[in-house]
Amino acid sequence: MEAVVALERDAQLMLRVRAGDDTSFGLLLERHRGPVVHFLYRMVQNQAVSEELAQEVFLRVYRSRERYEPTAKFTTWLFRIATHVALNSIRDRKKEKGHQSLDDSHAETLGGLERQVADRQPTIEQEMVHEVKLREVRQAIEALPAKQRAAVLMHKYEGLDYAQIAGVLSCSESAIKSLLFRAYEALRDQLAHMA
Amino acid sequence: MICLSKNDQGADLLASYLAKTLDAPRRAELDRHIQECADCRGLASAWERLDEFAVPAVSPGFDARLYARIAREEARVLGWQRWLWRSIGPLAAAGAVVALVAFLQVPQEPDAAKPENKIEIEQVAQAVDDLNLLIPIDR
Repeated sequence: MEAVVALERDAQLMLRVRAGDDTSFGLLLERHRGPVVHFLYRMVQNQAVSEELAQEVFLRVYRSRERYEPTAKFTTWLFRIATHVALNSIRDRKKEKGHQSLDDSHAETLGGLERQVADRQPTIEQEMVHEVKLREVRQAIEALPAKQRAAVLMHKYEGLDYAQIAGVLSCSESAIKSLLFRAYEALRDQLAHMA
Repeated sequence: MICLSKNDQGADLLASYLAKTLDAPRRAELDRHIQECADCRGLASAWERLDEFAVPAVSPGFDARLYARIAREEARVLGWQRWLWRSIGPLAAAGAVVALVAFLQVPQEPDAAKPENKIEIEQVAQAVDDLNLLIPIDR
């Protein structure tokens, strides 16, 4: 009973989902929809694909509800599914059409960002500078090996700690520390001219 | 000296430093080091550049699409279960009938083989033997 009380909120919600409470699934979706979609967006760099993959992630969570056991932190389990789905998608897309041009999704991304910055009304010049910088960051992230990319995105944007990332990627913590540092060094080298 | 490149917690140190969550002495130490070390300065700069990678808002219809997919999947699973029951149910019923008929058709064991009947026959045979004993031998 103590173990159940000590469970994190997400795990408690998931146990309720397992017991047939669909409202709890809605709460989990509300809490994790954004982080999962954003993580996947930065992984695959395409909004439509990232949302499709996120749907797959939550569908898998729902499908697995009857077998769910709170052995790891819920976020670790969730991001393990998301990473698995993203890596599969990246592999499949590489097989399908080789290295995907960033330009394919660039217009779509700018459309999304345009909505976010519309209130600030930047000048055309500012927008162009921002576009160039954004493209360089996207290219630098895309150039990372998929596993390093996933680790950086979870560490930098989603705030997962070493232990959680190690759990997601099934590595030791020390392996994650060195993987992350190699990734940040690669990004530093890629982005050095922007400094 | 704290050098991010020579520290196995480098990535976390960098994150804490830039999030301004490091304690004051360590932050001051790292500040001084970053002024001198181009590698660490580059790391800090790259980390800040990553903030430019903004993300678009999630589409408003995301949840509705997900729930529709879940409903479709549940309907499919339910349909499959019903199909299975419809297909296997009659077969199972037919099998049960065949098994019942086969059971009823199996020839029953002869009465003599039953233990209670065997005892009865032995008793009759014994009685006949006893009767034979009553008949005079020389008659």
